[in-house]
Amino acid sequence: MIRLENIRKAYYLGGVNVPILKGIDLEIQSGEYAAIMGMSGSGKSTLMNIIGCLDRPTSGKYYLEDRELTTYNDDELAFIRNRRIGFVFQQFNLLSRSTAIENVMLPMVYSNIPKEKRHRLATEALTKVGLSDRLLNRPNQLSGGQQQRVAIARALANRPALILADEPTGALDTQTSHEVMELLGELNSQGITIVLVTHEHDVAERTRRIIRIQDGLILKSEDLAELPA
Amino acid sequence: MQTPKAPLKAPSKARIQVTKVPFTEILTMASESLWNNRLRTALTMLGVIIGIAAVIAITSVGQGIQKATENQLQALGTNSINVLTGSARTGGINQGGGSASTLTLEDAQAVAKAPAVKLVSAYLQRNRQVSYGNQNTSTTVIGTDVNYSPIRNTFPVEGRYFEQEDIDKAKSVVVLGAKVRSDLFGRSNAIGQRVRIQGEQYQVIGVMEVKGASGGFDQDDRVYIPLKNMSARQVGNNALQGISVNGFWVQALDESEIEAAQFQLTNLLRLRHKIFPPLPDDFRIVNQTDIVSAFTNIVGLLTLMVGAIAAISLIVGGIGIANIMLVSVVERTREIGVRKALGATRSAILNQFLTEAILVSGLGGVIGIALGVAIAYGSATIFQFPFLVSIWSVVAGFGLSMVVGLVAGVIPARSAAKLDPIQALRSD
Repeated sequence: MIRLENIRKAYYLGGVNVPILKGIDLEIQSGEYAAIMGMSGSGKSTLMNIIGCLDRPTSGKYYLEDRELTTYNDDELAFIRNRRIGFVFQQFNLLSRSTAIENVMLPMVYSNIPKEKRHRLATEALTKVGLSDRLLNRPNQLSGGQQQRVAIARALANRPALILADEPTGALDTQTSHEVMELLGELNSQGITIVLVTHEHDVAERTRRIIRIQDGLILKSEDLAELPA
Repeated sequence: MQTPKAPLKAPSKARIQVTKVPFTEILTMASESLWNNRLRTALTMLGVIIGIAAVIAITSVGQGIQKATENQLQALGTNSINVLTGSARTGGINQGGGSASTLTLEDAQAVAKAPAVKLVSAYLQRNRQVSYGNQNTSTTVIGTDVNYSPIRNTFPVEGRYFEQEDIDKAKSVVVLGAKVRSDLFGRSNAIGQRVRIQGEQYQVIGVMEVKGASGGFDQDDRVYIPLKNMSARQVGNNALQGISVNGFWVQALDESEIEAAQFQLTNLLRLRHKIFPPLPDDFRIVNQTDIVSAFTNIVGLLTLMVGAIAAISLIVGGIGIANIMLVSVVERTREIGVRKALGATRSAILNQFLTEAILVSGLGGVIGIALGVAIAYGSATIFQFPFLVSIWSVVAGFGLSMVVGLVAGVIPARSAAKLDPIQALRSD
C-alpha cells in the first residue's frame, strides 16, 4: 500500500542544507498497524508528514496505492489527503470555534458530500468514538481525550484507507491514552491501515510492527508476533 | 460502514480530476466561520464601518458648511455696489473716511440715471434708542427709500415695506428688523403700534425677515424709516447743499454690467464734486464682487480642506481595515493548515477567505454608509447647515474599503494557502 524508495528530505536552514531523511526505503502493506519510533530529531515526524502528503520529499519516490504521489501537484495531493488519508495530530488541530460535529463534517465538505449525508455520517462517526452526546460542544468544552476522539472521528469521516497519527497520545494522560489506543486498535481490526509516530514504548508495543528510525535512516523494522492484550 | 473505501480506480500515471467545492458550500462555510468567530467578525466590520462612516460624515459636513457659506454669499447680492462718503480734505489734511458728508441724495439721483445702473438706494444711518412702552433698545436707524429692500435682497415677513408715498411725504413710519421686533414686542403684535425714536413717534408698518449677521453687522438689529424723515428729524442736515447721506447702494443692470456701472458712477461723482486728477476721490466704492471673490477664495480653500480631510480619513480607514484583516488572517494560518491537511485545495481556501472578506467588507460598508449618512444628517440638523451627501464620498468610501478589505484579507490568505500544509500547521 505504501512504498517509499530512497526518500530523502533536507531543509535549508540558515544557509545550510540540513539533511533530515537520508534515504528511506519502506513498504507498508494494506491493513498493517505500524509504529514509527525514534528519538526527537530522528526524522520520524518528517517521514510521517511525507507519507501523509503534508510535505514533499527532496528526492526519492513515494507510492500510495500504486500511485506515484511524488509526481502529483498540490491539488491532487489535497484530493489524496481528503479521500484516502485521515490525520490524528498530537495537538488535535480542531477548529476551536466550531462544534464537534462541524469539525467532523469538514473533510466531507471538501469531498462534496451533500449536507444531510454529511450530517448523518458525522453523527455516526462521533457515536462510534463514544461522543454521541457531545455533537454540539466546542473543543474548549471537551476534555483532551474527548478532543482527540473528535479528531479520530474526523479522520474517519471520508472512510480513508490510511490513518496517520502523529504522537496521538502525546498530550493525553495514561488513562485516556489507553482509550485512544484501544479505539485505534479497533479501527485497525476493521481493516484500516494505521501508521503512528511515537516515542513511547508502551504505545508502540500496542501496534503490530515497530519501525525504528535513527538519524534519518531506518535502523530496523520488527514485526510483533501478536497484538498485546 | 467504517471499512475503507476501495482504492480509487486510477492507473498510477493518470491525473486526478480534482472537483471544485461548489460556491454554495463555500458561502455556507464562510458564513459559519464568520458566525463562529463573532467577535473577530464584529471587530473587522467595525474597522470598515468606521472607515466609511468617517469619510461620508466628514465630507458631508464639509460640503454642508461650504454650501452654507456660498448661500450667505449669495444673500449679499452680487450685482450691487456700495458707495460711501469718503475723506473730506480740510487744508490738505485728510480727515479720514466718513469724516464728512460728501454724498447727497442728489448725487444718488444723478447716479440713478447712469446707463448701466438699474436701481439706487441712498441711506443715512445713526445709532439711536428705540422704545416701546417700558422696553427700549439701542439699534441702528437707517433712513432710506423703496429701493433698499430689492437691492439688499431683504423683504418684510409682517406688514409691508415702504411705498413711494411714505418716502415722498417723509411719513413717520418704521419697519423693524427681526431682532428689534422681538426685543421690543416679544411675541405680541407689532404692526400698527407706535415706537419712539429720540422722542419722535413712529408707526410700525412692517417687520423684515431674519437675515443673520454679515460682515460683522447684525442685519436684524436695525430699523428703517423714510430718508427725508431721518434727515429732518433725526440727524439734521450738515451738507453744503441738498440732503446729505452716508452712502448709497447701486444695483447694476446685471452682474456683467458692474464694471461699467462702477466706471460711470465714479466719473459722474468726480464731475459733480469737481474733482480732477490728481486729486483723490472724496467717496469710496465697495464692490460686492470684490468681497464675493474674496469669499470664493475662502470657499475654495474650504473645499481643498474638506478634500484633504476626506483623503486622510480614507487613508486612516483603509489602514484600519488592512490592519485588522492582516492580523486576523495571520492568526488563521494554523486553521488554513488544518483545512489543507483535511483536503482543502488552494482555491477552496482562497475562495472561502475571499467570500468572508466580501461579506465583511460589504456588510460593514452598508452599515458604514448608513451610519455616515445618519451622522451627517444629525450634525446638519443640529448645526443648521445644508444636508448634502455626495455620491462621490459614498462610492469612494465603499470602494476603498472593499478594495482594501479584499486585498488585505486575501493576499495573506493567498500566501498562507500556498504553504505546504505542514508549514501552516506549525505556525502559532
